[in-house]
Amino acid sequence: MSVKEEELTNNSPPCASNSLSNYLWDDHPDENKWADCVHCGMCLESCPTYLETGQEQHSPRGRVHLIKSVAEGKLEVNEQFMDPVFQCLDCRACTTACPADVDVGGLIEEARGQVRQAMPLTGLKGVVSSFFLKGLFPHPTRLQAAGGLLKFYQKSGLQKAVRSTGALRIMPDHLADMEAIMPEIKQSVHKKYKNVDVIPAKGSSKAQVAMLKGCIMDVMFSDINESTINVLTYNGNDVTLPKNQTCCGALHIHAGDRETGKKLAKQNIEAFQDADKVVVNAAGCGCALKEYPELFRNDPEWHEKAEVFSEKIEDISKYLYDTGYIKPQSSINKTITYHDACHLAHGQGVRHEPRQLINDIPGVNYIEQPNADTCCGSAGIYNITNPEMASAVLERKMENVPEDVEMISMGNPGCMLQMAMGVQKYGRGGKVVHTVQLLDWAYQEDEKKGLGNKAASVKE
Amino acid sequence: MDKHLLDVAPLTDSSNRFGNLSSNLLYPESEDEVVDIVTKANESGKKLSIVSGGTKLGYGGLKSNYDLTLSLKKFSGIVEHTVGDMTVTVKPGTTILELQTFLSRYNQMVSLDPSCPSTATIGGTIAANESGPKRLKYGSARDHVIGMRVVYADGKIIRTGGKVVKNVAGYDMNKLFIGSMGTLGVITEITLKLRPIPKHTSLVMLTVREEALDELTAFTKLIQDSLLEPVSLEILTPTMSKKLINRDEYCLLIALEDVKKAVQFQEVWIDQHKPNEAVMTVHPNPNYFWQSFNELIPNSLTDLGESTHGVLKVGTRNLDVFPLLQECARIHHEGNLKIEASGGAGHGLSTIIISGNNANVVNAIIHLQSFASDLKGYAIVKHLPIELRKELNVWGESDGLFKLFKSIKQKQDPNNTLNEQRFIGGI
Amino acid sequence: MLLSKKKKQKLDPDILALTEIVGAKSILHYKEDLLSYDCDGFTIHKAMPKAVIFPKNTEEVAAAVKYCADRSIPFLARGAGTGLSGGAIPLNNEVIISLVKMKHLLEVDYENRQAVVQPGFVNLKLTNSISHKGYYYAPDPSSQYVCTIGGNVAENAGGAHCLKYGVTTNHILGLEVVLPDGEIIEISNNGVLDMPGYDLLGILTGSEGTLGIVTKIIVRILKNPEAKKTVLAYFDNVEDGSHAVSDIISAGIIPAALEMMDQTAIEGVEKGAFPVGHPDDIEALLLIEVDGIAEGIEEQIEQILTVCRNRNVREVKVARDEEERGRWWANRKTGFGAMGAISPDYLVQDGVIPRSKLPEVLERIRSISDEYGLRIANIFHAGDGNLHPLILFDSRIEGETGKALKAGTACLKACADAGGSITGEHGVGIEKKEEMRFIFSDEEIDAQTAIRDVFNPNNLLNQGKLFPTPSRCMDIKKVIKETAITK
Repeated sequence: MSVKEEELTNNSPPCASNSLSNYLWDDHPDENKWADCVHCGMCLESCPTYLETGQEQHSPRGRVHLIKSVAEGKLEVNEQFMDPVFQCLDCRACTTACPADVDVGGLIEEARGQVRQAMPLTGLKGVVSSFFLKGLFPHPTRLQAAGGLLKFYQKSGLQKAVRSTGALRIMPDHLADMEAIMPEIKQSVHKKYKNVDVIPAKGSSKAQVAMLKGCIMDVMFSDINESTINVLTYNGNDVTLPKNQTCCGALHIHAGDRETGKKLAKQNIEAFQDADKVVVNAAGCGCALKEYPELFRNDPEWHEKAEVFSEKIEDISKYLYDTGYIKPQSSINKTITYHDACHLAHGQGVRHEPRQLINDIPGVNYIEQPNADTCCGSAGIYNITNPEMASAVLERKMENVPEDVEMISMGNPGCMLQMAMGVQKYGRGGKVVHTVQLLDWAYQEDEKKGLGNKAASVKE
Repeated sequence: MDKHLLDVAPLTDSSNRFGNLSSNLLYPESEDEVVDIVTKANESGKKLSIVSGGTKLGYGGLKSNYDLTLSLKKFSGIVEHTVGDMTVTVKPGTTILELQTFLSRYNQMVSLDPSCPSTATIGGTIAANESGPKRLKYGSARDHVIGMRVVYADGKIIRTGGKVVKNVAGYDMNKLFIGSMGTLGVITEITLKLRPIPKHTSLVMLTVREEALDELTAFTKLIQDSLLEPVSLEILTPTMSKKLINRDEYCLLIALEDVKKAVQFQEVWIDQHKPNEAVMTVHPNPNYFWQSFNELIPNSLTDLGESTHGVLKVGTRNLDVFPLLQECARIHHEGNLKIEASGGAGHGLSTIIISGNNANVVNAIIHLQSFASDLKGYAIVKHLPIELRKELNVWGESDGLFKLFKSIKQKQDPNNTLNEQRFIGGI
Repeated sequence: MLLSKKKKQKLDPDILALTEIVGAKSILHYKEDLLSYDCDGFTIHKAMPKAVIFPKNTEEVAAAVKYCADRSIPFLARGAGTGLSGGAIPLNNEVIISLVKMKHLLEVDYENRQAVVQPGFVNLKLTNSISHKGYYYAPDPSSQYVCTIGGNVAENAGGAHCLKYGVTTNHILGLEVVLPDGEIIEISNNGVLDMPGYDLLGILTGSEGTLGIVTKIIVRILKNPEAKKTVLAYFDNVEDGSHAVSDIISAGIIPAALEMMDQTAIEGVEKGAFPVGHPDDIEALLLIEVDGIAEGIEEQIEQILTVCRNRNVREVKVARDEEERGRWWANRKTGFGAMGAISPDYLVQDGVIPRSKLPEVLERIRSISDEYGLRIANIFHAGDGNLHPLILFDSRIEGETGKALKAGTACLKACADAGGSITGEHGVGIEKKEEMRFIFSDEEIDAQTAIRDVFNPNNLLNQGKLFPTPSRCMDIKKVIKETAITK
């Protein structure tokens, strides 16, 4: 049953073992990435799946070990290998914990690429996955249409009917859970600003920024896009929405579909060519855009373009913090806690800025939650593909949300859906909001009261 | 072997009142001589008792007829003291007082405060794992011994640990010998970790009447939960307190050792927070006080037999010291014997001195052993004449671990050459 | 989904029996799943286990142990697997008993200052769980974010702050242990000090998992010190720095931590993730922390500054605030990892020397460095003489790994020759088995294995660790060392 190490390998150094490698496709995991791992284990406690299972193969260093083992010819790309590689939430908490800066996320994505080519998805998972990833997200019009359907579903009263009759029970549990928290669909900024080139700054203009609309964001959370535009213009930014922009590709890359990921990346790089700064309000998207160079590590031409592009990307909270923003004067008298989206805290190192934004709003009673930077289990479409693990991770997360908060603020739409599900499922109080919405609401109050941006001071 | 027979004076009845001796007393002065004695005894099936300062003859042991007694009393002195490393290597017969006096010249000390420092030796202190009221901050022998040389029953010299203060190479063999009552080998050299002598010391005494003991208990908890860093939190029963400071009340001894400002700050804090009922005194000469405290407990050198004294070492959870001491006071009040006791609320170890006639002393010991056992602790008899020890189980009941103890003894001393029947379960 | 395919494979009866004991969800036995358990934090040697089980309670541990013992199946316990000496590597195709599912804090008794934890409870979580009341658990190995207290007991773990507060063994009050025959014993089950009998707590702590499997631990907890202050001092030469270390302690100060880095180490940390801006031309820096009653700290700091000045310090400063203190510590604590910035590979050693021998041992290490043509950085728990030479090498260069291993052994020899020890906190494990001979005679090693035989007479539990096995093992180790690739 078990096999001695010596039987598996000739003791030849991994770096010289390409002939042994069981990675059969291009773009295979990069040996320089695992070469940095000294197997110290400092990542273990940061990893939600390790915390849940206690098993090494579901830990960052365990996964790196397996990925390396395939290259050394000790393992094949098969289902047993796939399981740990796809159980990963891609939350990047290990990247923060790692003293040697091992790019576990990058390795996982590359390994997933190999798995997907070795074993294309079949069955329901395949259908769901290709429906979302290939059929829907890359196509704004289809998404808008889907959004339209959702909106119809909500407005028609059908939603109420379905919820009350329990017809939802025919859906798998997790899809039913998801349905329960679908946000109300409003008009997307895609539609609203269809014929507008530049949304002008309120008052004098100090800069021009491009904004990523995002795919899910613009359909399901169009009000957040609205808020983002408001906050940007309120602070003296002209905002553009470059026409050809598309889905960032994060979900595709996470799922191992690196080819579609590259296609989308190229389209975005070109779409934002004229922009100096690209502001993003979805942490997952922002992180993916910043990591385009990794995607093109074997393609010198696009790699260089991707490098230039990634320099332009900035999360909305960091952009505001760095360029200065007007401190609102109207109060939001609420008890608020903040959840660190993985791809903001671990992926982009943005932790302090959103907290500062929240704390600058008068009246806010801010409570830090324990383990604020632990994954909520959303992880792109992970909560659709790995519902059990996602809900275990969510349960752990909800244990940390303080009892008496009225709002939970964060910077990523995926987290918002997942956390809203948590609030609903565990009967907790707390409205789930995007950080930028809080600021927008306070600004709107200021405007109503005539305390507009002219009078306010800009915090540098 | 004859050359070691330096002192063959026949033992009088009274000098063998505590057992653990033989009429053949040997005083080796070197490790070679120890090896020689032990090897020959082991080969010829002789039973050897091992003593040092002679203060613990009343501590365990059911035999008074060993073939030979090996005394380490004359095997004494400092082997090596590295001031910069703060370590000292010392021979086992060195008394605690000699050792501390030597080290004090370098402003260093071994942070151990066992009873009878003027006669008790470092070897005996370690073999019996003795500690004092300052254990709260100081720790015990197991925290300070970093290396030893031990002569096994077959004459092999085994080094345990080393001379460095941090060391995890191999098993922590030092621990095996600490508190083993000389049943596993003869310790011939000890290396200890040292501490600097504190810059300033103070002793704050709080006394309360019996009715207000609860307030003192609450205050003890308060101190433990405060930012103070007491070196002792020793509670004295009224009888003990009467003897030491002439106040017939419960007393809490708070030793403070730090730089002057920090000590003074703590004194002020205690004054501000102490129970209303309590009278606070700062002792003018703490070192003198601790000396008299530590010499107070009867031992086989000082107990001359005018009445029967028994001494118990009781271990409980820290705060169970209070009910234990109250029980001691209660028994004392019954009037047929005298009990003086003190206990450390920071470490849970108490010392109880029982004086009276034989039967009453034995009964009180049995009662307190069961009382301690109800508190999920233990009470062992540290000092008692051998005839009474035979009536009791001085080590308490041996439990599920005894099998392991016996097996360890069997491995190291298969012929039972060393201190036969001295330890728990007759090991 | 995968089970159907797995089920088709014929199962080993031992696997079936162990599955009965722990349940199907708590056992791993397929090659792919076991591969992650072929080493711990020591990666030079790897071996595959027979199975990994995840018992949920003491009874399951005992049942599994009894099953293995009755059938002479070798087994070993594993915590987080962060050990640096290979103590949890299944050299003999062991059944690994992973204790990570036994990860609960069972009880905290603030008044009596003790806490009861299961072995899989993570070190830092204990402090985090009790800090709201102002308490902490003192032993703080640098892996404390992930390492388990069970593993700490096995290795007698230390940490930066053990100078003043002692190592794990000084904080263990009681243990529940499953012996290698499956019997469950309790040692001081109420956490009471000095239980009559031989000191089994003392002998089990640091026995590297060769005497029993710890299933419950009673530890001492301490009250946080009122105040902390941290000093950073730069020295132009190592001798002055090491004299300052001795002087500080001789002045009657026991710092909570007293750390030293040499020039190469400083170069590393300055290029790492947390640079502080240390000058690049100093030979040594000291990081000194004192804690205690706030009223007394200022005086100690003054004394430390004076000592440093008397030893020709170039610059000495006190951390202005918590933020600065944090930066200094982050710079120090990530020291090992930061070596990655100046070298593709490094090998860390763990010698201990008497403090006063520091200058001569550093000189010796310098000549070892010259001899092997490899750079060696030194990070040093100076207060207690625990030296971590970091041997920098590049495994891609043929033969350099072997050279690094030899240089490491030479460093340990230098420590042993100076009257020190071959390990201060990482343990012997597989890594330093042979080096045990540097400090112990055959008779002394036999005296220790005699104790192992008391607990573990058939040597089924964690076989092949800690002690050199005569000749045969020497050869095996030689082979391992020659062929291994080190990180």
